Amino acid sequence: MAKFMFVYRENGEPQPEMPPEQMQKVFQVWMDWIQGGMEAGWIIDGGDALTPESRVVHPDLTVTDGPFAESKEVVGGFSIIEAKDFDQACEYAKTSPMAASGGCVEVRMLANVGEPAEK
Amino acid sequence: MNQSDQQNHLVENFFRHESANLIAVLTRVFGVRQIELVEDTVQSAMLEAMRSWKQKGPPENPSAWIHRVARNRILDHLRRDKVHERALAFAGHTIEDTESLVDQWLTEEELPDSLLRMIFVCCHPALPRSSQIALTLQILCGFGIEEISRALLTPAETIKKRIQRAKKKLAELRIAVETPAPSELASRLNSVHDVLYLAFNEGYSSSRGPAPIRDDLCEEAARLCHILSTNPPFDTPTSRALIALMLFHGARLEARVDEHGDPVLLEDQNREDWDRPLIQVANNWFHQSATEHLSRFHFEAAIAQQHCRAASFEETDWDAIVKIYDRLIKYYDSPIYLLNRAIARGQSGDTALATKELNQLAQHPSMENYFLVECARGKLFELEGNSTAAVDCYLRAINGRVAEHEKNLLKKKIKALTTADITE
Repeated sequence: MAKFMFVYRENGEPQPEMPPEQMQKVFQVWMDWIQGGMEAGWIIDGGDALTPESRVVHPDLTVTDGPFAESKEVVGGFSIIEAKDFDQACEYAKTSPMAASGGCVEVRMLANVGEPAEK
Repeated sequence: MNQSDQQNHLVENFFRHESANLIAVLTRVFGVRQIELVEDTVQSAMLEAMRSWKQKGPPENPSAWIHRVARNRILDHLRRDKVHERALAFAGHTIEDTESLVDQWLTEEELPDSLLRMIFVCCHPALPRSSQIALTLQILCGFGIEEISRALLTPAETIKKRIQRAKKKLAELRIAVETPAPSELASRLNSVHDVLYLAFNEGYSSSRGPAPIRDDLCEEAARLCHILSTNPPFDTPTSRALIALMLFHGARLEARVDEHGDPVLLEDQNREDWDRPLIQVANNWFHQSATEHLSRFHFEAAIAQQHCRAASFEETDWDAIVKIYDRLIKYYDSPIYLLNRAIARGQSGDTALATKELNQLAQHPSMENYFLVECARGKLFELEGNSTAAVDCYLRAINGRVAEHEKNLLKKKIKALTTADITE
């Protein structure tokens, strides 16, 4: 088994007004999905959401406001999961609520030093 | 991660209710002229809450969290607004005064007061009834434009314009966020009752088709009516009769839909599914609504109570119901009441008089919806054992302007009646 990080990349376009009812739904869908993954054992850590503000420390140690302007996507959060390979990790990622909100899930394998990744 | 199940599950309607609370309090603090800013602020605070909590669950006190975020945002915004600061200074206030006011009014004890003020603002007589309802649903019930459009069967664009115009009007007239003076309390309260009653009926009316929003609409109308009924001087006998009426109906909401989402008629409902504790609460409210000056809500509640009381459809006291309709119709001569009385009269056994009444009613200019009259006629024929004539009526009804789910209901009836004929 290998560990993977799900990076939730949200579409950075301004959202149309969302009525409270829909917020409640989105919230509940996420909570249920993470809860379900944890109960099934493949989500190791639900992770957390990231607030939109950020700072960037540059090589010359100057600090600017982030995020990087080049990307329209915003990293909205992350989770740590366990799967036997990339394929399985991607199958799990497909079940996430991200697609419904027009965002992507970036699937990254943790290097996991000490234990060579299974091929 | 340590997540308790309790934390995972936000109170149902949390976002909707907190949105209403925040808009009510912040509008009370900053005035109706700032209502758009207030709404934007609340929207962005709610969105931030949804985003931040969706993975780890809400904080221990989600309301306090969201209040703080919304408060800070609007104050930040106003600090940057020199005009606002000068206006405040002119009135001898500072931003810090405002801050403590927001905090104070957001406390649980103070919240109903702000909500009540906002109810009267939304139902202000300067606005047409249709705007009052749309505004109430948006601001106090937290429904989006799309949801309101579906609930009121009105195009979203129309609802949007209606709401925009209403807000503009309130701002122009500088309507104060306050409850009415004693001299105008009675008439202003009447408007509020009518708006809540109409909102509830939009949710309850089976001719509008099944949609998940309908139950929410009933719940929200009842919630606002409950605030009236528990806060003097708004807890008048009429307020109490209205909450009783809503709860009698509300107790039967679940039994009105089958597992496929299709409506179930009163006579076919499983009365075990009725919410008995809620009926008891409704009984208590009804009991407390006693007065010499009965409103139509009193009569409607009395009729609903009769239905809730009956152990089975057959055991319904139709004579009592007809008598209540008689008294009601003396006050309010509405074709819908006349129609319902005719059906009740038919059930009580006097199908001849009931048919006569229906025929008169069909001439009524406002009785455009012949569909209902045909259905009622069919029912009377059924009661008389004349299923051929009943089927004829139902067939005529089905060919009129009928919602899809009601067509299905009629088809089922026709099928049952015709197969019964064959087996006989």
